Amino acid sequence: MSSTNFLHLPRQQLRRRKIFGGIKPAPHKAASLRSRIMPMPLPPQLILPINQYHGTNSSPLVKVGDAVLKYQALTEKLDHTGAALHAPTSGRITAICSAPIAGHPDNAALCIHLQCDGDDNSLELQPCLNHDQLTGFEVLRKIDAAGIVGMGGAGFPTAHKLRLAIEHGTELLIINAAECEPYISTDEALLRERAREVVIGAELLRTACHAPRCVIAIEEDKPAAIAALRSALAHSPIELMLLHSTYPTGGEKQIVQAVTGLEVPVGQYPLNLGILLHNAGTAYAVYQAVAEGKPSISRIITLTGRALQTPKNFEALIGTPVAFLLKLCGVQEQHHLTTVMGGSLMGLQLAHTEAPVTKTTNCLIAATVEDFPQPEPELACIRCGFCAEVCPARLLPQQLYSFARTHNHTQLQSYGLDDCIECGACAYVCPSNIPLVQYYVAAKQELRTLSVAREQSEHWQTRFQFHQYRTKQEKDSARERRIPTALSPVELLPTDSSPITSVQFSRQLAQQEIADAVARANAKRSSRLATDTQMPQHPAKDKE
Amino acid sequence: MAMRYLAGPQQHASIATNQIMLQVIYACAPGIAIAIWYFGFGILLNILLASLFAVAFEALALRLRGLSPAPQLRDNSVLVTAVLFALTIPPGSPWWLVGSGIGFAVLIAKHAFGGLGQNPFNPAMCGYLVLLLAFPLDMTTWHVPNAQLLDGQSFTPFSWNGLRQSLLASFPFLIGSESTLVPYIDGLALATPLIEFKMAGTSAILTALDTNAAVLGKAAGTGWELMNIGYLIGGLYLLYRRIISWHIPVSIIVTVSAISALFYAPNSFAIYGTPYLHLLGSATMLGAFFIATDPVSAATTTRGKLVYGLLIGCSIYSIRVWGSYLDSVAIAVLFGNFCAPLLDHLCRPRIYGHRKSRSLPAMQEQDR
Repeated sequence: MSSTNFLHLPRQQLRRRKIFGGIKPAPHKAASLRSRIMPMPLPPQLILPINQYHGTNSSPLVKVGDAVLKYQALTEKLDHTGAALHAPTSGRITAICSAPIAGHPDNAALCIHLQCDGDDNSLELQPCLNHDQLTGFEVLRKIDAAGIVGMGGAGFPTAHKLRLAIEHGTELLIINAAECEPYISTDEALLRERAREVVIGAELLRTACHAPRCVIAIEEDKPAAIAALRSALAHSPIELMLLHSTYPTGGEKQIVQAVTGLEVPVGQYPLNLGILLHNAGTAYAVYQAVAEGKPSISRIITLTGRALQTPKNFEALIGTPVAFLLKLCGVQEQHHLTTVMGGSLMGLQLAHTEAPVTKTTNCLIAATVEDFPQPEPELACIRCGFCAEVCPARLLPQQLYSFARTHNHTQLQSYGLDDCIECGACAYVCPSNIPLVQYYVAAKQELRTLSVAREQSEHWQTRFQFHQYRTKQEKDSARERRIPTALSPVELLPTDSSPITSVQFSRQLAQQEIADAVARANAKRSSRLATDTQMPQHPAKDKE
Repeated sequence: MAMRYLAGPQQHASIATNQIMLQVIYACAPGIAIAIWYFGFGILLNILLASLFAVAFEALALRLRGLSPAPQLRDNSVLVTAVLFALTIPPGSPWWLVGSGIGFAVLIAKHAFGGLGQNPFNPAMCGYLVLLLAFPLDMTTWHVPNAQLLDGQSFTPFSWNGLRQSLLASFPFLIGSESTLVPYIDGLALATPLIEFKMAGTSAILTALDTNAAVLGKAAGTGWELMNIGYLIGGLYLLYRRIISWHIPVSIIVTVSAISALFYAPNSFAIYGTPYLHLLGSATMLGAFFIATDPVSAATTTRGKLVYGLLIGCSIYSIRVWGSYLDSVAIAVLFGNFCAPLLDHLCRPRIYGHRKSRSLPAMQEQDR
């Protein structure tokens, strides 16, 4: 498949555009940006989920009791949706068992538990000094080996995304540095201090996907990061675009709109438009993997919230328990109300702080009551329409809400529930404090359950009919064996004498239903034609 | 660590529903102040009575529905209904008139349909129309500002006499002897042409114009103009605070001015008033900024709001000029309420990534 809507882009001057809707919440980023990105002392134990991305498929390479070195591969991917995992430090594998993971569908996943020995003995790294002369394929291979996944949040394996991009043909690579959600400041801190590395990472990504153009998109309210990027981009063909600081500009669909003015068609991906999106953090990980030869073992995480004495950005090892990081920042337990993983609008509340940091964890908020005050009680929806004004998908949240409450599935689908990106802008502005996103998530779940149930009931219906057919067939054949000369009874289905499989049966059943329907329609039409001239027609009755 | 389950998002914008409702009431203040200046304390009494009744009925309705009244009363929505209702009925209406109107508005028009957010029609206007149908005489009897009463007493709204008259009008059982009642009611009956003017019963306006009475120059006329300007200022405040969107008021005002400008013929005997009269000589501003914008019963899509305003503007003018009802704003708004769900359905915005707005999936193969 090739891109169709986007062919004239290479000569087109890009300019920033507005996204639909959007909000401007208070950013709350200054606290964590006061200090530089800090390295982290070694925690006593690391918990490393084997599968980084739900749907990925990896298997462990180590056994319980094995001693491992830093950078040693711990898992191998079984198919292209997987990503390798490497030991963030040296130590011993103490267990491979299920452990709580935030944001995972079951809130738990199979994890490798690594007891750190504190020596940090590492394998020899192989830096690549002439990384600007590598071919796309070589870059891709290094990215694949380093186990990089999308750092923006979805955690999709980067190498696989690049391969898909090459298949589709990419004309524009967008490096997403529009970190629009409040509290999160990882990309801003990263660009402020390591813009050169991010730019090299972007160049490498561009080489890997053969994109003619690359744009780094950042929101205009991050002056330090922009200045650093400007100087890093001085002799680079990569363009810089300053976007309006509106939440959720950094969303996948929204940033495509903000940079190109195009909308990602429903059911498709930016790749279908010839656009590849990568997060700035991913670009940095690519730089580390290709230029320094370092696999993806750490990421930058914002630790913030009023319960922390020293909010800051950490370069944290993957697998570090959240509680360890919070302690490093001087968490005041008496004020600590809750911990949120992610930003204040889409973040997940952590059930407990033993859950580890994964490759997609970008922010931890140790919140006090001042951060997240007790929400006012939910009031009735007055259909003020504030939500519709801010919806970046241009949905009508007030209508979706009333349909969700009445379980009106047809209308929910017709009003575009599936197009909701769950950004929370509607709930943010709702004057009645209705947790709208929760309603939509529940409604989506309901629709999914229903469609599964429908499929299952169809499946069982077919199986039952097949069972009936088979018993009849057996009975008939038994009778035929007894009286070989008797007339065969009128058959349910036109079959030859050999018994058929269940698949053939359901196909025949469907064909017969279609034929019956056609016959009925024809009969109806002919009877209507016959009665048309004489009298008003009766509703034609089906006769089976 | 005290764990608490938080429904995300954890951050919220500051304005809350009860604040919105309060802002609407504040925005009524300029109009109310001018109304009090011209019609005396009767207006204020109306508002107080209506609010008291409204809160009582709201609490009753919530209790009957098995809900606890306290949190829902705090949303202030019933106060908005009460104030808007009180502004539409004549000052000096007796207490039972106020009570029955607001009772219908709260108990039937609001709670019988499921309470706040569920009512398809504007409750205040429903209450008003029920009164208009049931008690047409009481509903069209207004105080005459600065009028001479029959017994020669001067009647200024702010005098003790004016306050006493207002109180007596609201609570007729306070009147001791019948002798005070009779001239009082006669005095009020003088106001009827004014009412017709207010409701833009155009024959009255025309009569006034024909007899060279400078309608708008009269104290009463000026009062209505100023009141409308007061509501306009309040409406602009609501727009500034982003509590209402501009679509509905602008659409109504543009429609009313355009149609009245189209039909206006200066020297003919046609029954059409000037655009100025239609905008400022009646309840147009109150309707456009405060009543038609009631979000619960109005259209909520952007294009829907524009069409909604257009329909209301057209029917305001049509009912005034060609209809037989005196008041047009209330009926026009209810007509708009009827159309709102359909407008919302037809005017859905195009969803991100879709070619055009989706239509309903075809009826689910019902004929099979």
